[in-house]
Amino acid sequence: MVNRSKRPALIVLIVVVLCFLYGIGTYNSLIRLDQQAQSQWAQVENAYQRRLDLVPNLVSTVKGAAAFEKSTYTAVAEVRANAGHVAPSTGAQNDPAKFADYQKSQDNLSSALSRLMVVVEAYPDLKATENFRDLQAQLEGTENRITVERMRFNEAAQGFNSKRDSFPANVIAGLSSARFKDKVYFRADAQAATAPKVSFQP
Amino acid sequence: MRRRCSHLLMLTVFMMLLGGVRALAAPPIPPAPTQWVTDTAGFMSDSARSTLNAKLEAYEQTSKHQVLVWISKSTGDDSLEDWAVRSFQAWKVGRKGLDDGLVLFVFSDDHTVRIEVGYGLEGVATDSATSRVLRETILPKIKAGDHDGAIVGGVDKILALLSPGAASSAAAVAPGAGFGGNAPPAQPMPWYEVLILVLLAVAVLWFAIRHPVFAYFLLSMIGRNSGGGGGGGGFSSGGGRSGGGGASGKW
Repeated sequence: MVNRSKRPALIVLIVVVLCFLYGIGTYNSLIRLDQQAQSQWAQVENAYQRRLDLVPNLVSTVKGAAAFEKSTYTAVAEVRANAGHVAPSTGAQNDPAKFADYQKSQDNLSSALSRLMVVVEAYPDLKATENFRDLQAQLEGTENRITVERMRFNEAAQGFNSKRDSFPANVIAGLSSARFKDKVYFRADAQAATAPKVSFQP
Repeated sequence: MRRRCSHLLMLTVFMMLLGGVRALAAPPIPPAPTQWVTDTAGFMSDSARSTLNAKLEAYEQTSKHQVLVWISKSTGDDSLEDWAVRSFQAWKVGRKGLDDGLVLFVFSDDHTVRIEVGYGLEGVATDSATSRVLRETILPKIKAGDHDGAIVGGVDKILALLSPGAASSAAAVAPGAGFGGNAPPAQPMPWYEVLILVLLAVAVLWFAIRHPVFAYFLLSMIGRNSGGGGGGGGFSSGGGRSGGGGASGKW
């Protein structure tokens, strides 16, 4: 069938083609995992955006009922300030510095919001209104969504990173390293690791 | 023959080890329920449970939305929200691609309730609406000792949220269908990748013409890495994605 003298060349060719096909498979699975992480990142952004959208409504509800004390005033001002300084999220999943900024600004907003909710405890009238209860339910739901989507993003990022850093995918990824950067993970809140300080000083 | 037996034995031991490791790695989630209403804590009366079960079965047949009730004693060391979202995913509640399922969880020893909403129903079963169901119907009735009334009444309220007809549920599915839809577009390929692909395509074509059988065999090798997870419980399932939407409560 095949001429005897051509046989070595054919074997080399087969090996080369095999390598190429394997390369395509690896490349495609990298793309697939990358897309999964990207879309999961979009989900994280959605959840955070949802929380940001709640802020104006929450602020006006609290102010309408309890704006005249200094503690509420400061808490509200802090939420507003932090909501206005959320770092950009686009591309942050591939860029550790941007990612750190984004996470830090969102964590700041989280703690400002939880301080506001603590201050509001002093207003039973406000807490009893349906409007406020709905807002509170939305805020809780949103925080829960953020947790879930962050966890899923970490899973997707881990799936991509472990593929990207293992042989032979790292060779393929190395060919276009700008496109296949390692994804960054969400870490637990730095403040959550240290126990909150309770001060009994007036 | 004997050799074959020992191989089989080794394989079995290996599989068992693997299973053991996996069981250790993930905190236990019970297997997917095979009924619409599952009560392992003896929280409801049997008659109320079976009536509600039939009702939810009929509801799924007409509306296609899968609404489940799960009652057990405790989530163990896990947080309620975490447990709910993981079991929702493991049980694949709702239809595949639509994720239009909803589960009412009750943990009788923890004294906690949660309504977990699939992505596809977030538009109608919003956080504030589900939270109202909990605080206006379910929690007060449980506190009053009326367990059957709490669950049945709560489910009625939930179905009322979902039921404004097939037309509005189609609209409500949109946010779920848009899952990942706003991901940033992929960057264009650099020239050298295009070159490699073109060369490759030529090589593959040439190879396929010269040795079609072998080429087919190779292609089938690359194509095999797709595949999905196994099916769920006794009834149809396939969705299972919830983003933590819904509401929790305590009594």
